Amino acid sequence: MRSKLTVVAWIATAAVGLIVAACGGSSGDKTTSSAQSSQPAALQKGSTIRLWVMNNGPQPVQDTKRIVQGFERQTGVNVDVELVGWDVQFDRIRNAAVSGGGPDVTQAGTTQVPFFAALNGFSDLNGRIKDIGGKGAYAPGIWQTTQLAGQNGTFAIPWFTEARAIYYRKDVLEKAGIDPATAFKDWDSFQQTLQTIKDKVPTIDGKPIAPFGSPGKKAFDLVHHVMPFVWDAGGAELSSDDKKSTIDSPQAEEGVNFMAGLIQKGLYDKSMLERDGTQVENQFKGGRLAVWIGGPWVLGSVGRTDDTTWVSDARKNVGVAPMPAGPSGKGFTFVGGSNLMMLKSTKHPNEAWALMKYLSGDAVQKEYANLMGMFPARLVPQKQVGETDPDHRAFYSAIQQGRTYAPIPQWAQIENAYKNRLGAILDSAAGQGKPYNQSSLAAQLHDAAQEADSLLSQTTG
Amino acid sequence: MSTPTLTDIDVEVTVTDRPDPPPPRGSGPIARRRRRGRARRRTWRTSRFAYALIAPAVVFMVLVHLLPAIGGLILSFKNLNTFTFSQLYGAPWAGLQNYRAILFDGSNPLHSGFFGAVENTVVYTFWTVGLTLSGGLAVALLVKRPMRGQKVVRALMLTPWIVPSYVVAVLWGFMWQSDVGIVNKVLVDYTHVLSDRPVWLLGPHTMWAIIIPSVWRGLPFAMLIFLAGLQAMPKDLYDAAAIDGAGAFRRFRYITLPLMRPLIAIQLLFGVIYSAYQFAIPYVMLGSNPGPDADLMMTLIVRQSFSNNLFGFGAAASTLLMLGMLVWVAVWYRAFRRDLEATS
Repeated sequence: MRSKLTVVAWIATAAVGLIVAACGGSSGDKTTSSAQSSQPAALQKGSTIRLWVMNNGPQPVQDTKRIVQGFERQTGVNVDVELVGWDVQFDRIRNAAVSGGGPDVTQAGTTQVPFFAALNGFSDLNGRIKDIGGKGAYAPGIWQTTQLAGQNGTFAIPWFTEARAIYYRKDVLEKAGIDPATAFKDWDSFQQTLQTIKDKVPTIDGKPIAPFGSPGKKAFDLVHHVMPFVWDAGGAELSSDDKKSTIDSPQAEEGVNFMAGLIQKGLYDKSMLERDGTQVENQFKGGRLAVWIGGPWVLGSVGRTDDTTWVSDARKNVGVAPMPAGPSGKGFTFVGGSNLMMLKSTKHPNEAWALMKYLSGDAVQKEYANLMGMFPARLVPQKQVGETDPDHRAFYSAIQQGRTYAPIPQWAQIENAYKNRLGAILDSAAGQGKPYNQSSLAAQLHDAAQEADSLLSQTTG
Repeated sequence: MSTPTLTDIDVEVTVTDRPDPPPPRGSGPIARRRRRGRARRRTWRTSRFAYALIAPAVVFMVLVHLLPAIGGLILSFKNLNTFTFSQLYGAPWAGLQNYRAILFDGSNPLHSGFFGAVENTVVYTFWTVGLTLSGGLAVALLVKRPMRGQKVVRALMLTPWIVPSYVVAVLWGFMWQSDVGIVNKVLVDYTHVLSDRPVWLLGPHTMWAIIIPSVWRGLPFAMLIFLAGLQAMPKDLYDAAAIDGAGAFRRFRYITLPLMRPLIAIQLLFGVIYSAYQFAIPYVMLGSNPGPDADLMMTLIVRQSFSNNLFGFGAAASTLLMLGMLVWVAVWYRAFRRDLEATS
């Protein structure tokens, strides 16, 4: 009996070793199928393409499955749609690119593409893009998000676009006696609108409502909320040659100070700084904020009864306006969205490309944009969606005024560094942590610039 | 000749009556080697079952703990950044550069971030372990007393322990919200203990926002261990002390506390290590960047490694944390060695 148990124990030991060894995977996997052909090839019916998508709407997986049904019917290729949350997608896509063990196609944030491309785990699509009309089918700023500075390659194709605009409650503005047409024209009118709401409409239907709210350091996209004010003031995130941070310039300081000043004046509900982006979005939908800055997906969710975060008064009184113009005379906004990238490790490059091409069709882009509440990335369907109604027109105009960040591999890390410091600045303005004043603001931005410069100075050696 | 004393006789008897040891059967080196070989085979025969049983655990520990720790140590000497991290062990050698940047380079923002995180971790660990152990002991003394519904109270006291850290952090994250959270509702709206609503999740209060849920979750386990210790204590010691006129405090000070020292020691050891490596609660409650007031070592290491791709920095900071814990274990062992020997 004892000898049998001994044998079992040794077998268990060997099994543990084998399992752990197997978890390591095979380095050969990475290269077996990285080759791709630019020639049209017959698609392998019955093959399965794994597609990673992020939380793009209330039902991201079901909606995407619905969209790709047409592709499955046409080609006989199956699509396995998997949800990867925004909170973990950066790590998972990076790991998939490095290990070679991931999906065939993945969605990626536009600002992340240069970093992922630099990992050398994604296919260069230059030989295929003529199938979707080439770069002429997209706005230059959007096409730029598929590139990697210093390299001649196309590492992604634009999938959908978003930009930030001002959401407001029509009933609150009406009660405050403010004309929506001029309420958010420039920084002064924006601030005056918030002040009037604070003075005249502290409650609506007996419930308290704050004039304005925006998330703090918990939001993954905090930088997208602050940078438009920096751009409005004539500032920039990096120097024109992308070699040095300019986040500590006087112009950038002015932009950040404007946003922090809203907190100090009591116009910006500081409790929103404790929340992440989705939680603040839900505060607007739940009727606790009169004005908020958000993306087009919220507009798309107004008509969706399966989005139960809306209270009825908020749902029926949504208005959208472009971002206010700053001292530079321009009202910039962040324009981003998501691209599609093909992993080099895919065993089905032709089928993967066929799926990407299908998702780039004008009709499919429009249908998906409607479902997700985003804008199509391609010029023609984008314009068509922009002409739907005044609210969509505001977003379409925002996209035209939109800016994005430099296509350099270090941007995601620099954005993180900025996010940390901007979060601390807004906390200070809310009376938490270090006292807020001009010199503490300058010091924080200087630290942010220094950190960004050290990230920019990273080398391969 | 003088008369021998009893002691002398004893000595003599002891010496003269001791039987001679049996002559060894072969005393050369070959015979000794044979004997050792036979002994070794006998030991192997009797112990191989035990070795076989612990072998999977040993293999697992080596693969899951030892090798990654060595790997991490090697990475701490590498220049791993956005451009090189995919090469991992093939990345360029950086020598002590990562350690120099962390410890001595005042112009490097990572330097101040590191020392801020060290300070926060020390504060967090001190309060979390202190409150968990003292609270656990106090609750154990309370629930040890005979009372109605004692078993129900004990079971209820254990419930925070079975709640996963992730859930604890999410729940407390909602409870701390300054405008609608239950904490401020109780302190401000219901009891009027405070007139202004404190902001718990920003600024210096953030540290307490992570300490209190950590204590809330850890206290039941400490209580359970202390309760087991208290129940095993001999009652006659307390009876004797009471007869001698010792009050409750003196009985606690001179009987309970000394007898509980081994249990306190073990909990202190694990409590400090667990708290120094705390990640889940601050990360889930406050995100990847908890801010300068609550950025702990682990949140800093994870953020710099996985968000900023500074794996060399992260590995060096991890190594320093591990060294810090080794020092703590050495100090702890020196302080409590006698208690461990007394219980063994």
